[in-house]
Amino acid sequence: MSVDLVMNGLQQGLILAIITYGIMIPFRFLDFTDLTADGAYPLGGAVCAIFMSSGIHPALAIPCCMICSGCMGVCVALIHLKLRINSMLAGIILSTMAYSVNLRLMGRPNIALFECGGLFGVNILGNMTIICLLLASCVVPFAIFLRTDFGLRFRAVGLNQNLAKQRGISIDKYTIAGLFVACSLFGLAGSLIVQLQSYMDVGIGVGILIHGLASLMIGEAIIGNATLNRQLVAPLLGALVYQQVQGAALSLGLAPSDLKFFTGAIVLLVIAMKRTEAKMFG
Amino acid sequence: MLRISNVTKSFSGIFEPVLKGVNLSLAEGEFCTVIGANGSGKTTMLRIVSGEHQADSGEVIRNGDVAQVVQDVNKGTIPSMTMLENIALSGVKNPRFSFYRRHKNDVVEKVRSLNIGLEKFIDQPLSVLSGGQRQIIATLMAINSGSRILLLDEHTSALDPKMQLLLMEYTANSVRELGITTIMITHNMEDAVKYGDRLIMMNKGRIVVDMSGREKKQLTIQSLLEMFHKFEDQSLLRDGGENVG
Repeated sequence: MSVDLVMNGLQQGLILAIITYGIMIPFRFLDFTDLTADGAYPLGGAVCAIFMSSGIHPALAIPCCMICSGCMGVCVALIHLKLRINSMLAGIILSTMAYSVNLRLMGRPNIALFECGGLFGVNILGNMTIICLLLASCVVPFAIFLRTDFGLRFRAVGLNQNLAKQRGISIDKYTIAGLFVACSLFGLAGSLIVQLQSYMDVGIGVGILIHGLASLMIGEAIIGNATLNRQLVAPLLGALVYQQVQGAALSLGLAPSDLKFFTGAIVLLVIAMKRTEAKMFG
Repeated sequence: MLRISNVTKSFSGIFEPVLKGVNLSLAEGEFCTVIGANGSGKTTMLRIVSGEHQADSGEVIRNGDVAQVVQDVNKGTIPSMTMLENIALSGVKNPRFSFYRRHKNDVVEKVRSLNIGLEKFIDQPLSVLSGGQRQIIATLMAINSGSRILLLDEHTSALDPKMQLLLMEYTANSVRELGITTIMITHNMEDAVKYGDRLIMMNKGRIVVDMSGREKKQLTIQSLLEMFHKFEDQSLLRDGGENVG
């Protein structure tokens, strides 16, 4: 593997880490099986592409993308909570609808943004610094929040809903807020990837959930999720390792078309390893 | 204050109602123990008071929030959270955007007051404690939750005799000190006689014995057992008669 490949992998891994945090929040803190990533991530990308092609500064596009994707998360939460539709189904329905919305917003299936500029340049280290700063600006406040009274309540919602209700905690409010945060992270990742590639395609979200899930599984397999700190580090570590493994597999001759099969196999392997470990060591 | 007025409850698939017009009124801070055979409706009554079940008819009036400790310790705690996190979660009525660790000294004091050395596990997940120790923490959480009504459903049943005594003393003293209205279901006749201002016995979905004051103070385990068996025998005879009839 060349240095360039490793550096590119780290750059992509940092963006994948943002997605993985978005996947972890509902899965681990709210006990909410959320499949919205496949829709909220390209929505962020589509909004970013429109803003950039309209001449709006790319830095301004980022918060708008986060809000749009976050609102999609709120819709998923409301559909689940108010219409009593299974969380997975709500996510799938909204993601399917988002595809049409993205096409309608973009007016065509893809937009080239090579002339529009963006936050990123040719210096990978500079790009990585920008992504790291944006990632930290989301994760650090969230980590601080989790250590407050409200954060404790947020965690309780996913760990013991009955106890949370007994203590007067509003499951609905915390679920809606959690989904907003998670999906706004998808929006952030979508806008960053579009700016990095200077190109937006309506199909960029296909399979993104499984990449994030694989990253989360790998991260938790490496350092576990027994403590809050480990839970918060696992997505970043997992995404960086996963991206490197993927890069290594490609450099060893894996066809890009086999990548999704490879990712699915990694997820299954990690789950099987966890189950075997649990059986052997109780 | 807690008032249960003419509450009835049936479950689908069970012909006979589980509760048949139960009436009970508890004053502020009153501690009531409930005994009765399995299936007499004790837990159903508690679940209706807690709001977990809805009564078919009748009314429940509560003067405040309800906290509950049940036999299954996992329902009353979060094993993957630390002891501090569990107790802080229950104790904070008005949450703020400030670190929950500010409650640490208070929580340590509360746990230390139990006198069983659990304070050294304050930053450990509750899963490292035994089931009995976790039940003690669950009770402490419920008592310190600021709720005005406490429901205890055989909360000492998983503990060894020494721990049972310790937890019962802690419960009785704390609810008296804090003036919490309490209903405690127990199968332990000694606890039923020793603790509480009032005792009720349930049989076949009805309250058949309700005693308080001097009558409760003079009650002995022997007389309570005799009463218990008398109602059991009567209901067996009645059931037999109904079946024959």
